[in-house]
Amino acid sequence: MIEPFNVYAARLLPSQELFAQGHRACQGCGPALALRYLLKALGPETIVANATGCMEIISSSWPETAWGVPWIHVAFENAAAVASGVEAGSKALRRKGRIPDKKPTVVAIAGDGGTFDIGLQALSGALERGHDFIYLCYDNEAYMNTGIQRSSGTPFGAATTTSPAGSKSFGQKTWKKDLAAIGVAHHIPYVATASIAYPFDFVEKVKKAAAVEGPALIHVFAPCPTGWRTPSNLTVRLARLAVQTGMFPLYEVENGKYHMSVDLPFLKPLDDYLKPQGRYRHLTKDVIAVLKKGIDQRYNEILEKCEANHE
Amino acid sequence: MTADIATQAQQETVTFTVNGKTMQGRRGDSLLKVLLHEGYDIPHLCYHEAVTAYGSCRLCLVEVKKGRKTKVTTSCNYPLMDGIEVTTNSEKIRKHRKVVFELLLAQVPNSPELQSMAAQYGVTDTRFEKKYQDCILCGLCERVCREVVGVNALGFMGRGVEKDVGAPFKQPSKTCIGCGACVYVCPVNCIKEEQLPTKRTIVRWERNLPMQTCKRCGYPFAPTYQLLQMQKQTGLPWEFFELCPDCRDVKD
Repeated sequence: MIEPFNVYAARLLPSQELFAQGHRACQGCGPALALRYLLKALGPETIVANATGCMEIISSSWPETAWGVPWIHVAFENAAAVASGVEAGSKALRRKGRIPDKKPTVVAIAGDGGTFDIGLQALSGALERGHDFIYLCYDNEAYMNTGIQRSSGTPFGAATTTSPAGSKSFGQKTWKKDLAAIGVAHHIPYVATASIAYPFDFVEKVKKAAAVEGPALIHVFAPCPTGWRTPSNLTVRLARLAVQTGMFPLYEVENGKYHMSVDLPFLKPLDDYLKPQGRYRHLTKDVIAVLKKGIDQRYNEILEKCEANHE
Repeated sequence: MTADIATQAQQETVTFTVNGKTMQGRRGDSLLKVLLHEGYDIPHLCYHEAVTAYGSCRLCLVEVKKGRKTKVTTSCNYPLMDGIEVTTNSEKIRKHRKVVFELLLAQVPNSPELQSMAAQYGVTDTRFEKKYQDCILCGLCERVCREVVGVNALGFMGRGVEKDVGAPFKQPSKTCIGCGACVYVCPVNCIKEEQLPTKRTIVRWERNLPMQTCKRCGYPFAPTYQLLQMQKQTGLPWEFFELCPDCRDVKD
């Protein structure tokens, strides 16, 4: 397994930009970075089905497009369904000899709202039917595009416009939905969590997902400076701290076998991660203690699963 | 002024054909690079766009017709020029590629990467004597170390059948900084890296690298030798490298 690399190796990624610069993303946009790495990993033989969300809006304002690959914008809920259709259609056309017999990689892209909430049943259906495609969920932890409403990907304690912090509330009261576990429960060949702060790890995971037969689910963590109320230069640092504090452990599940991607010597103090973010500014010590306990519990659960697999 | 730039660009642009289709590209570009960007499926192992082409794996063979002469050549180190006619998938090329795959499989029979690549071109076994090596001597690691990283820790040694790649005198490397670039580019995955929280080992070059621990957060973040190399290149004071990138501008 390749470890998070240093700056030297950055030039070793392909130079071809299939997600072109000049799109309308905010400064320091995490998801845009995720898409750039995704297409660098997959190359030009890719077809993308993109659900409604930030990445659809910013990349396709008429009459321009940022996409260097075939791309289809679909409704919020059916990215996975459309990707299955594209995959099945390409298979049928290839069988009939209408197009050259060359398998394209089909990718469905959706945000956390389009995956965790609205697109979950289409995703579940596509995973169950076993289409050979990649589902990429970029997780910026709220509906950022429409004005920072809470989704079921929003973590405990975060303030959004529909889970506001105030005298009666400390923000989001529920815990983040475990998307990777939902993917694993479908018994698909490949499930992984990734982060834009570990680009080589992410690229390797995308390549692996493209290589497996059958559906693959990648949950990539991508900070949103606008929605998180952070300076835009902290995007990558926050993504890294989320991994190092245990908020978002990086692991992959191949045929039900868990493997930790980044071995942490210890968990960094949670304050390092919470402090720079405006959405956590209101948190009191006891709420942070509850958050810490919940995070540690979830992190240890995954660690146990990885260790059980090693023995 | 603008006319000058226009003529200059015209001089640099060349027209050529690939499988009968007319295309344009920049003079002097690697033919393989252009073909890959256009989506042609050409197998290659020793080529990487970040380093100079070397032409050792011989898989990227294409037929190039220039004037009245047609020749079979590696496309990675063939510069793009005006009026060439390229054929990427003729019967002749397929036959040559199969032989090359068989020769590579004789050298490295047990690499899953090479096996699956060869299987795509219908080669599953080799008629040549198997050498059971793990390295195909493509030299990517050596070129990346020299051109991208700028460390020059690796090199070729010996000739002919005794040719090998590695640190000088086949001793444990003394100059490797453990950046892992060679691990990443190796097409047959024969360079392995082991990462523990406080130690990194590049197994093939027998290099043990302690990790530098951040003075503020106590997190091991990069091999110390690598930071020394960065210091050499940037000339910054060592105090700068004692903190991890996440702690460098944090005010406590």
